[in-house]
Amino acid sequence: MADMPNDFWSGWIILITLISFIGLVWLVVSVYTAAPPNDAEVDHTTWDDNLKEGMNQAPLWWFWMIFAMMVFSVFYLMLYPGMGSFKGAFQWSQGGQIEERYRVFNDEFTELRAEIAVMPLTEIQADAALMGSASDLFSQNCSACHGYQGQGQANLFPNLNDDIWQWGGSPENIELTLRNGRIGVMASWEALLGQEGVTNVANYVLLLGSPEAEGHPGQARFNQICIACHGIEGTGNPLLGAPDLTDDDWLYGNDLDTLRETLRGGRNGQMPAFGDKLDNAQIRLLVAWLTR
Amino acid sequence: MKYHGVTLHRKLENNIGLLIFGILFISSIGGLVQVLPSIFQESLKTATENSHLYSAVELTGRDVYIREGCHVCHSQQIRPLLAEVERYGPYSRADEFVYDRPFMWGSKRTGPDLHRIGGKYSDDWHRVHLIDPRSVINNSIMPAYPWLAEWEATDLGDIQKKMSVLRILGHPYTDEEIAAAPEEIAGLSQLDALIIYLQVLGTGLAEEYR
Ligand code: HEC
Ligand code: HEC
Ligand code: HEC
Repeated sequence: MADMPNDFWSGWIILITLISFIGLVWLVVSVYTAAPPNDAEVDHTTWDDNLKEGMNQAPLWWFWMIFAMMVFSVFYLMLYPGMGSFKGAFQWSQGGQIEERYRVFNDEFTELRAEIAVMPLTEIQADAALMGSASDLFSQNCSACHGYQGQGQANLFPNLNDDIWQWGGSPENIELTLRNGRIGVMASWEALLGQEGVTNVANYVLLLGSPEAEGHPGQARFNQICIACHGIEGTGNPLLGAPDLTDDDWLYGNDLDTLRETLRGGRNGQMPAFGDKLDNAQIRLLVAWLTR
Repeated sequence: MKYHGVTLHRKLENNIGLLIFGILFISSIGGLVQVLPSIFQESLKTATENSHLYSAVELTGRDVYIREGCHVCHSQQIRPLLAEVERYGPYSRADEFVYDRPFMWGSKRTGPDLHRIGGKYSDDWHRVHLIDPRSVINNSIMPAYPWLAEWEATDLGDIQKKMSVLRILGHPYTDEEIAAAPEEIAGLSQLDALIIYLQVLGTGLAEEYR
């Protein structure tokens, strides 16, 4: 204990430890050195006619085992903290131990990590061992949301294996996504569109890209509100994270009810920032893995 | 001379009161050495910049956590070992638990440690995970808690009473905070409260220890 309340408690611990130790030594030694019991003098309780407690001493190997453990504890208490605020000859502490482990860890890996952080992506992708580490990193940090192979899931977390990137698919954009996180911001449109408007625009979104879209009752509202972010053609804008609404890829889903839900409630998908949690090499590995 | 080991043994064996006293005495030695001094150790009970005082909503979420027995499978205690710090984040410090009554350290990890779960996932993730863990972790063995989304946070007992009792124990809630508490939890489901609690876990640690 690094900060003993005061010397009294430190002394208290030392005293009880010593008394218990001496008590134990006395107990063990006296049991083994006392005169052997005289069976006749002891009034045994007898069970079941003739079952009696014997009066043999415990075997000698047992004595030596306890003796060895006592010697061990004496050395232990001299080398490690145990006697109150005495820190022991090794000056061992949990905090010191983890610092030391980190020193060894960093000595071993700092250089390698610095190398990986600037390695060309193609070189990482060609190295099976590095890609294995990248895949492990993904499992540990990302798969809870994006699925165990990055396939996307739960209609909340996007598929990362396809060519469709809401926030841009260049290595630079992906790196930004990982470092800073992303929050998709689309507010609720219910107040602006009204119930009927929501249904109309949702139906229009379903038709986007097909000839029937032209002249659809949802079109006017769509062109008025939605193209600011989703683009004139509805093909999206990676700077805002506004997805392409003309393709077959949907994060939240494209049945009418889900679309209405999207427009009514708005959507705020949240990708956490990993800039603090992962180092440059780890982020580099993940970018290589995602663009493989 | 009587063999004294035998007489002492006989005495203890035949006098149940003495035997009980002897057992209690011997087994209290560990506590006298390890536990008693730490009760007087100021650093274990003094609030610092690392200590987070739970808000009314967080306190309610914490009660859900306790009632559902999350602590049976999840610890909230990251040990100072390299592997744990690499996996979960900075190791836990005593002053982070000053306002945890009772503490949720746990003693078994069927699932991962949760002390630094705050901010790791989004609220959306916790929502789907708690309602059905298999929808995001396909082979998870964690139970589903769908009812939490339907049960009201206000059903968990008198929040003002709870805060006043904690104030007696030294949690510095102000009268205003206690007065505002029922309003803060009104309208929330128990799931909302639990997620708000999970998202604050471990986030109080000051920058210099990270
Ligand atoms: C808490 C859940 C969560 C975790 C953990 C998470 N993500 Fe995400 N991620 C999301 C969500 C949600 C989005 C979509 C954001 C949006 O709606 O705009 C996203 C988006 C992304 C995108 C952008 C996809 C696109 O189409 O542009 C990339 C790349 C990505 N995540 C990679 C990762 C990597 C790599 C990790 C692990 C280091 C990770 N994510 C961990 C939830 C998560
Ligand atoms: C402020 C910019 C902005 C405007 C204006 C906007 N959106 Fe969005 N929209 C977004 C963003 C950003 C997302 C992604 C949200 C997320 O990832 O959580 C999105 C997502 C969507 C989605 C979900 C796509 C999927 O893959 O599930 C639909 C549908 C959608 N918008 C339709 C519309 C419609 C219809 C309008 C007009 C009424 C509109 N948006 C207006 C920014 C906008
Ligand atoms: C039967 C044991 C068990 C119980 C009870 C349990 N969990 Fe879990 N929990 C797990 C296991 C196993 C995992 C790992 C698999 C997973 O993520 O679903 C886990 C994962 C989690 C995670 C994700 C941790 C991470 O870092 O990825 C959270 C958060 C969580 N549990 C919260 C809770 C809460 C809150 C409760 C109480 C309502 C609870 N758990 C009850 C076993 C349990």
